[in-house]
Amino acid sequence: MPYILNTPEDVALMLKEIGAEDIEDLYKQVLSSLRIEGQLKLADGFSEFRVKCLLEGLSKKNHTIDEFNAFLGVGMYDHYVPAALSHILTNSQFLTAYTPYQAECSQGILQAIYEYQSYICLLTGMEVSNASLLDGASAFAEAALMALRITKRKKIILAGMIHPEYIQTLETYLSGLDFSIQSIPPNKHGVLNWQSLRLHVDSDVACCCVQSPNFFGLIEDIADLSEIVRKTGALTVMLTNPLSLAVLKEPELMGVDIVCGDGQALGGSLNMGGPSFGFLASKKNYVRQLPGRIVGKTVDNQKNTAYCLTLQAREQHIRREKATSNICSNHSFNAIIASVYLSLMGAEGLRRVAVSSFSNSQYLYRRLKEIRGVIFPFSSCFFNEFYWEVNNSQVVFDKLREKKIIPGYLLKDKLPEHQNGILSCCTEKKSKNEIDSFVNCLAEVLHG
Amino acid sequence: MGKKTIFDKCRKNKESSYVDCELGSLDELKAVIPSNFLRDDLPLPNLGELDVVRHYTHLGSLNFSVDTNFYPLGSCTMKYNPKINEAIAHLKGFTDIHPYQSEKDIQGALELMYCLEEALCEITGMKRFSFQPSSGAQGELAGMLMVRKFHQVHGNKKTKVIVPDTAHGTNPATAAMSGYAIQVIESSPEGLIDIKRLRNLVDEETAAIMLTNPNTLGLFEERILEISDIVHQKGGLLYYDGANFNPLLGITNPLLMGFDIVHLNLHKTFSTPHGCGGPGAGVVGVSDRLIDFLPAPLVEKNNGKFYFNYNLKHSIGRIRSFYGNFSVLVRTYAYILRLGRNGLIKAAQNAVLNANYLKEKLKENFEVAYLKECMHEVIFTCQQQKEKGVAVFDIAKRLIDYEIHPPTIYFPLIVKEALMVEPTETESKETIDYFIESMTKINNEIKENPQIVKNSPHTTPIKRVDETKAARCLDLRWKKTGD
Repeated sequence: MPYILNTPEDVALMLKEIGAEDIEDLYKQVLSSLRIEGQLKLADGFSEFRVKCLLEGLSKKNHTIDEFNAFLGVGMYDHYVPAALSHILTNSQFLTAYTPYQAECSQGILQAIYEYQSYICLLTGMEVSNASLLDGASAFAEAALMALRITKRKKIILAGMIHPEYIQTLETYLSGLDFSIQSIPPNKHGVLNWQSLRLHVDSDVACCCVQSPNFFGLIEDIADLSEIVRKTGALTVMLTNPLSLAVLKEPELMGVDIVCGDGQALGGSLNMGGPSFGFLASKKNYVRQLPGRIVGKTVDNQKNTAYCLTLQAREQHIRREKATSNICSNHSFNAIIASVYLSLMGAEGLRRVAVSSFSNSQYLYRRLKEIRGVIFPFSSCFFNEFYWEVNNSQVVFDKLREKKIIPGYLLKDKLPEHQNGILSCCTEKKSKNEIDSFVNCLAEVLHG
Repeated sequence: MGKKTIFDKCRKNKESSYVDCELGSLDELKAVIPSNFLRDDLPLPNLGELDVVRHYTHLGSLNFSVDTNFYPLGSCTMKYNPKINEAIAHLKGFTDIHPYQSEKDIQGALELMYCLEEALCEITGMKRFSFQPSSGAQGELAGMLMVRKFHQVHGNKKTKVIVPDTAHGTNPATAAMSGYAIQVIESSPEGLIDIKRLRNLVDEETAAIMLTNPNTLGLFEERILEISDIVHQKGGLLYYDGANFNPLLGITNPLLMGFDIVHLNLHKTFSTPHGCGGPGAGVVGVSDRLIDFLPAPLVEKNNGKFYFNYNLKHSIGRIRSFYGNFSVLVRTYAYILRLGRNGLIKAAQNAVLNANYLKEKLKENFEVAYLKECMHEVIFTCQQQKEKGVAVFDIAKRLIDYEIHPPTIYFPLIVKEALMVEPTETESKETIDYFIESMTKINNEIKENPQIVKNSPHTTPIKRVDETKAARCLDLRWKKTGD
């Protein structure tokens, strides 16, 4: 049996010390009526080699994203991961440690998380960040819950086009509680419906939640929104792609109170959607309402710089049912991945990734516009992803798939009202050739 | 170099060439996106690759971890994380797949999820699992929202959830987030559920009881079937917090114990790495009558093809984006294949053996909180040491000097000066003997030279951390000097 170090002699000695005849003796409280009859209906353990062969076989049944010319984003982005990042990640003194409860033997983790919090603050312009949450969608739900606690109001407004899975997650998180959610769909241009917002944002509203770049990829006018929201005493909760913040204005400078999102774009693998991590940052006033772990800088008793978990009185292990959230484990390791990524990239590197993603998307957008039958219902500016339509989208999609092209994300399953809608995204990994090839194939599919 | 943050190591060199920027420029972007949407400055540090590699390699070296130290952190099951799991999880066929690729392109991933679900159902007795929950607490939330929806669908508006006074903090916090009032049940003098008290507490308003078994005192709830009868008779459900499932693998399962809903912490029982606090996974399984309430989608098989089924009549909805922490699932499946039925039960047995041995050898010097045979962990109450002026906090810090990661302390809350030790099955008798020897030495130090314990740790790069200052003078992020 792998990974057990006790020899039969050890076991005998240990049982003798305990005063037990055999290991079964240690289970005498587990009454026979509770016992599994015989053995589990699983195979006996395999050799490591056989496990490797079996699972390698399974992995090969997947077609990885780079087997295709793919333009798929929608919350998970195929960015380049530097070799040095992959190398640092094998450091088992991060990987095999747990939450840094004991500061003196966890200074490396604590400093790395403090630096992560700092990076999130630098990107968002916010004053405080927690040590990570589980993913973007649950971070979005936690951000809304936080606004409800702060304002002590009962209503949430979802403004404009937000990732449907994030909305569903928010609805689930709130389903046991006495709060209401009102959705204010985007206008015909795909962006915030100002008229409707002015009508509905009132003094009952706890927060107005908005995604920018929104689900269609369009950049929203957050500053104008937060001005409307602030007048009613409500908060602005913004969901964003952290990579976009390499070029787009800091949420804090646009009057946002709480900003959140998924951090996968910052050096994370796709991993079929998980794990990534959720980030959550806010103005300083709200720090005591943040959910999850927070690391603070302090000193040791010799006045040396030191770090530790702080403000733990917000958390479930102290405050129990009155905690700001039930969260215990978070996604620290993925948050540290983001820190390493940002450190490797630096300001110039990150901007380059953002600009390159933007420019590639712009080029694809312009090329697609040349094709008859491709419709662009929206005209606002976007960052790395945009929405377009084509008749018989499923047929077009399937024909391109035969040519090993994934044109993007077909919306009809998630949003039936967008039967012919496709979201396409470019990262810096796309070359001009790949984009041209996609566009030429599409023209061929549509017009022969 | 140790004291500096990454931001203090910033260089003037601004070049970066990890990726290409073939088609455009910042100027083009500025021409397209209105300037009021753009930021002026991006204040991130510019560093050389060597700076970054050294920085993080150094930070890594400051941590205790399972790969470097004995890490008997009670309730966290810090067992060895087999390296084959990492190798498999890093295969390109698993890392480089997008959640929105079509089902036919990710058949291997779906098959893995399907097979893992079958294995976890066999291990727990549950009928179906959702893999969405990404931590134990998120699994609890999914579970308790299922409880809520179940009662709603059956027209019962129940209002209360019972949790023992020994419960993890996540249990009451989750029940509260699910909209329930919490009733705390005081444990019996033996450290178990007090059946008489439970009978008095459970009524028509009881939506569920949340239990770990073995409980957080490391004790097996022998009368679990009576407990489940009492709760079920009033229409309530039993929620199994799987944080302590490790000692029961192949021995018993939550279904046999009468539970309706289970979450498993894959990062505990199934050996996936804890990553400084996560990612783990808190997958949630249910018995027959709750299948329709699970978060959608589930993975199904038809004619040899695997697909997502979103059609669950009473689904509570999503608990996060996509399908959960897929790469944690990959590791878990590798672990289950590697151990098999014979290995899983042996893991459980050795976890119990190690804990009982440790308890037996230490009980002379450290009082055991509850004398009954323990399962995978043992709780000491260091009151005798406290009377000599040394708190369990000090003992924990002193263990660091012996290169042992301190056990969990001050939990469960009902044990005074609690020291909660979970050695796990992957530690050897020698390591446990070393722990016993170290604890015995510390006990002698407490008698002879308590200051050495009270001032510990002595061997770490920094000494005792001022946690009060951290909370009073909040410094939660780096700032440029002068900001």
